Amino acid sequence: MAYIAVNDTANFVRLDINASGTFASANAAMAQTANVVTVPGLQDVTVSASPGTFRWQQLDSLSEYVTTTPSTNEISLTLVLDDTSFYTGANGTPGIFTITNNKTLTYFRLYWAGASTGDRYIEGSGYLTGLAPTVNPGSPVWTAPLTISVSGDFVSGVR
Amino acid sequence: MAIRDTLLANLSTSLSGGNVTISNELPFEAGGVRLYDKNMKKLYLSYDNTGIIEMFSTLNYADDVFQKEITLNAYFTVDAKNQPSDIDTVVSKVLNSRLSVANCHIRECTVVSETNDDRITYTFEYRFLTL
Repeated sequence: MAYIAVNDTANFVRLDINASGTFASANAAMAQTANVVTVPGLQDVTVSASPGTFRWQQLDSLSEYVTTTPSTNEISLTLVLDDTSFYTGANGTPGIFTITNNKTLTYFRLYWAGASTGDRYIEGSGYLTGLAPTVNPGSPVWTAPLTISVSGDFVSGVR
Repeated sequence: MAIRDTLLANLSTSLSGGNVTISNELPFEAGGVRLYDKNMKKLYLSYDNTGIIEMFSTLNYADDVFQKEITLNAYFTVDAKNQPSDIDTVVSKVLNSRLSVANCHIRECTVVSETNDDRITYTFEYRFLTL
């Protein structure tokens, strides 16, 4: 069995976002590399692709039946805030605070381990939610959780 | 400017006129005798010990956030039987001297005392954290 390690330079996790406008697809948005911002300072990332379920019981069965309902897809992460990506943005994509505040549709691509040719990613579009910057005297650097609430499917691909 | 310099300047002022004075020398040992044991009622301050410790780890390491930890020790010895009348004030001033160091988000100082024969040695440990 091979595991997916992300502990060397060639295999870093990378999250790119593009909130510069509306694109036909996430793939088209990511192709506009001039408008893409790589989110710095990721501390942890969780990908949730969770189908909903509906269960019912029948009088002729000893066990429940189940069927799926549409999935709830999201990416949740924690990041160390960086003034460029948080306040001003870059490359035509506004800062994360502005994107959240303006509820701008955001295209994203998350590379699982490395972002070179042949490396795998998932992409899609959604809205940035759950931004809750926090700081305290013992750790005087701003960090924030952030969720990308995905609209529609994750699309898996290979660079 | 080393934190030692800031503390020395603060302590020189705050301890002046009291029973415990301050030395600019480092608390070295000579002939097996520690300087603060030899010269009682004189406070000696060590040099800055610095370490870099991680505050936040990130997934690409390049964005990791580090903080600098600086520790110093101060020592003085007094007669255990007849402590200076202002010993509480002196201890308090040494503890409070940590506040003279700026731009640190943690400024701590603890003191322990140890009695040997007829002497009592006060050991202060300063700890500062900065980005």
